[in-house]
Amino acid sequence: MKVQITNGMFMALLINMVYAKAIGLTQGSMAREVGNDIWISTIFSTFQGILMIYLLVLIIRRLPNHDVFQHSEILAGKIFGKMVCLLVFIFFLGAFGTIMATFVYHIKDFFLPDAPILLVVVVPFILGVYAIHYGIEVIARMALVGVFSILSLNLLILLGSLSELDIRELLPVFEFGVGRTIWASRHHNTDWAMAFMMAAIILPIVKQQEKWGRAGVAGIVYGGLFIVLWPILEVGVLSAEVTAQYIVSCMQMARSAEIGYFIHRYEMIMIAFFAISILTQVMMTFLCASISIQRLFSLKDYRPVIIPVCLVLTGYSYWFVFDHQRAIKIIETYWVALSMGIAIGLLLLLYILGFIFKKKVKANNKKHPSFR
Amino acid sequence: MYPKFLLLACIFSFMMTGCVGKVEIDDLALVMAVGLDKGENGAIKVTTQIVRPADARGQTGAPAGQTGDPIWSATAEGDTIFEAIRNLATFSSRRVFWAHNYAIVINEDLAREGIADIIDFFSRNQQLRMRTWVLVTPDSASEVVSTLTGLEVIPGEAVDKLFRYTTISAKSPSTQMLDLQSAYLSDTSQPVLARVQLIKRGVSNKKPGQAGAYEQVDLAGAGVFRKDKLVGILKPEEVRGLLPFIEHVESGVVVLSCPGDAEKKMSIEIKNQSFHVEPSIRDGTPAFATSLVVYGSVVEAGCPFTLSDKKDVKKIEKEMEEKLKEEIELVVKKAQEEYKSDFLELGKVFQNRYPSESREIGNWEDVFPSTLVEVNANVTINDSSILYKPTKSGG
Repeated sequence: MKVQITNGMFMALLINMVYAKAIGLTQGSMAREVGNDIWISTIFSTFQGILMIYLLVLIIRRLPNHDVFQHSEILAGKIFGKMVCLLVFIFFLGAFGTIMATFVYHIKDFFLPDAPILLVVVVPFILGVYAIHYGIEVIARMALVGVFSILSLNLLILLGSLSELDIRELLPVFEFGVGRTIWASRHHNTDWAMAFMMAAIILPIVKQQEKWGRAGVAGIVYGGLFIVLWPILEVGVLSAEVTAQYIVSCMQMARSAEIGYFIHRYEMIMIAFFAISILTQVMMTFLCASISIQRLFSLKDYRPVIIPVCLVLTGYSYWFVFDHQRAIKIIETYWVALSMGIAIGLLLLLYILGFIFKKKVKANNKKHPSFR
Repeated sequence: MYPKFLLLACIFSFMMTGCVGKVEIDDLALVMAVGLDKGENGAIKVTTQIVRPADARGQTGAPAGQTGDPIWSATAEGDTIFEAIRNLATFSSRRVFWAHNYAIVINEDLAREGIADIIDFFSRNQQLRMRTWVLVTPDSASEVVSTLTGLEVIPGEAVDKLFRYTTISAKSPSTQMLDLQSAYLSDTSQPVLARVQLIKRGVSNKKPGQAGAYEQVDLAGAGVFRKDKLVGILKPEEVRGLLPFIEHVESGVVVLSCPGDAEKKMSIEIKNQSFHVEPSIRDGTPAFATSLVVYGSVVEAGCPFTLSDKKDVKKIEKEMEEKLKEEIELVVKKAQEEYKSDFLELGKVFQNRYPSESREIGNWEDVFPSTLVEVNANVTINDSSILYKPTKSGG
């Protein structure tokens, strides 16, 4: 029987897929461009995320039993389908670099400065490989726990920082203009791109396709709400200038948090909550990259390619995180262009192709009726 | 079954390397406070107050470790802070650990030359908390750090509590690394740090006659910076005029003359205070109207006084308004004319309200000294503690 996940699990995966990097590295990147308007950029980006997930649902609904690779093949032929597989693999390869930068710089820079990078890179490799071997259902269940972890983490940081929050720091709004604030949201868009690229692969296995749109939009809205708390606190507590100084600005928040006079230095607890979310990101990236290679070589199962694919991703991430400056430069420049190009470009292309080849869609739906 | 078990054993043995980089707690030298002074030949002198766990246990710090001293102070010099700390390792038997540091004390001579390297080092260090207190001192920072002060066993903790619990004195601002870093990085605001000094205030219990026998750390105003250099000092009595601009003031005491007898004094405790700065543009120049609203309580009267005497109440309200207004005006004058440093965060207030205009007016450092600042104070005395009738002789 085909594996299926519930709409709740799908929402949880969307939230986890975007959260860790969005609060970890993205806010610093945006603060370097638009100062204290990062929270507005985050909101703008969430709206763009909603639009994209809605577009994705429209696309996948045309052929509800087929993922993005199969769509491409049905609409524009085998070669185009293979090209899409390769593009999606490149996307997740790039995404994994940014995810591991978030993970490694959290763990190594703040908790285990003496640990070798290799160790911090290999541990998620082992966990990721182990998890995706058992399939998406396991990861989706973990993502549900991840949502509670995110809630707990948000609550802890809120309690520990509220006393230092100076709401005046959020002013003035649009200091650098509306256009620049929207433009800065591209950094956060790359996080949402990971979520909807994942959705492009897993949506056909989500139950009750009539609820896909609502679940997708709800996942993005809740994810956006969980994330936007961080830039508000970072600007209000640390100031935009301090947020911009750091690679991992959220850890700067975490190590300044205190609940009353007696509960402080609790960032170890916070990082434990954070870890579930980022490990879900790691696992889903491994899974999506493995599926894209499976489709590229027309294999029946993705399991045979898990180890080689994950080794490639891990090897790249080791190179990626080795130099902090290089990693941040790639995240803020090349990665934005690559991820936006692939994610938005691919979705728009499929949407347009769907219009052009309506007959093919109808013929395929007749041949393989959906479970609607 | 066997190969699976072997594979799992291999994986788990690899994952159990969580011990990489571990340091046992008894291998750590827990720094409670750090002092920074000018060293010889342009070097920097770092003094660390390190807790002796064996002698600092319990409520009293009973000498279980046989030495009786709850702290061990060690000093080392280097061309940079990091080198000086590494030089500490040449004689410290334990690894210096900053995560529990309560205070960074900077000598004023060093602060006058610039503290950019200090801000950078302590904000770059992943162990240090951003809520660590940062202070300047006219005394040797080394001495301040190695002085046993306050009621706590660990002097660093005493300094911590000095700032946490004595906001009522309003003699120094409570400045943390977070505030220093954000003011230093700001385009408009300048840092201001709490100032402490050693004063012979402690009274020996063994020889009570020797009042002021040993030194204690005393709140002594604030150090004003322009960029990273200390440019001036605010006296403790001037700090009350500064505090409303930079932090929420919980309390404070104002001593006034009695309404009918200038020789006699009465104390008004500030119970509730709100402060608002309204920026505006007048003739193309930034201007500010500040308003201070204070609710006070009569906590001591050297003359018969009751709140039912409305005429007297009005008089002391007026006197208090004048006094508070003068204090704020004095600090504003010092900031604008003497130090030319916007440690009052007025630039930030203006920038928040008028972002495009603030870009047009040019460098805030040049504009700030000529801005107009109006000060208004409104005092209401509505409480006389638990007394209703005036305290006077029945005879």
